[in-house]
Amino acid sequence: MCGFSAGVLQIVPLVKSFSCCLLLPLSAFIALILEQKSTNNFNIISAKKAVMIGLFTGLFAALFGSCFEIVITFITKQNDIIITFPELQKMVEKFPVTDDIKKEILYLFQNVRNDILTTGFSWLYTFSLIVNDFFIDILFGITGGLIGSQIINNRIKKSKYN
Amino acid sequence: MSLSIRVIIFFLLAVWCIGFFFEWLIPLNEKLLTLLPFLHQTYSLICHQEKVKLITSHGFESLVCSRCAGIYIGLLTGSLLSIFRKPLKNTSIKILLICTALMLLDITAYSTGIYHYSKLIAFITGFLLGSAAFSYFYNGLIQLFIEIKN
Repeated sequence: MCGFSAGVLQIVPLVKSFSCCLLLPLSAFIALILEQKSTNNFNIISAKKAVMIGLFTGLFAALFGSCFEIVITFITKQNDIIITFPELQKMVEKFPVTDDIKKEILYLFQNVRNDILTTGFSWLYTFSLIVNDFFIDILFGITGGLIGSQIINNRIKKSKYN
Repeated sequence: MSLSIRVIIFFLLAVWCIGFFFEWLIPLNEKLLTLLPFLHQTYSLICHQEKVKLITSHGFESLVCSRCAGIYIGLLTGSLLSIFRKPLKNTSIKILLICTALMLLDITAYSTGIYHYSKLIAFITGFLLGSAAFSYFYNGLIQLFIEIKN
């Protein structure tokens, strides 16, 4: 559930600007709390369990995030690549590199842009999106799971001592 | 946790941090420019990359905002310190809560117009949160290694 929510929130621009890099770790943390509540087990969370929950949160976020992004791009024939292409041109132009390199990069992205504008799908874009989504989301999910479990365990230990 | 693992964690975090300052490396080798759009997309997943909030110098821009850069550099600093001195095993949750509260306070203050967005304040609040979060991450990893060994 948290993975799905994170996946959806990742592609909503307005929400994304508020959530920043804490979205996925926070999702993994919430997933840990929800797991505790659903199983009614409020004991210390093992690191293995935290990693697994973080991994699945990241995995689901990546799965839903990339699927929604691909489907939305296919239907609307619009995405960040299309919108930010003029910015990319400006960005490439500002670097002190040879014109050949600049042309090569712009040619590559021009092809991706044309593919998306005509068919709504680009193999290169889809590949890089999936690789990025899965790598980043899983990494941040696991990190969030580990940090979250330490926070929860800290609270459990503290309440036991009191 | 052995020294080699602590060094590996520091190295991985350093690579991640170098990644968002990638634009500064391009003059060293112009072919690196080919990677920039892909890295831009990678970091866009974890940061809004609003132009006004990016760290800028010599015409180059970071690939994450000041606050995110602060968080990661805070984590990197924590990992660097962990090489020389192991973090506390039972870090008080209050430290993390205070750092989170400071960050939320900054977000609320500039969002409501109490003051204008400051890259420095955003960086510092992010840095504090990142440094505090590292000890939790570190202790989580230690626990994981112990569980794997058993």
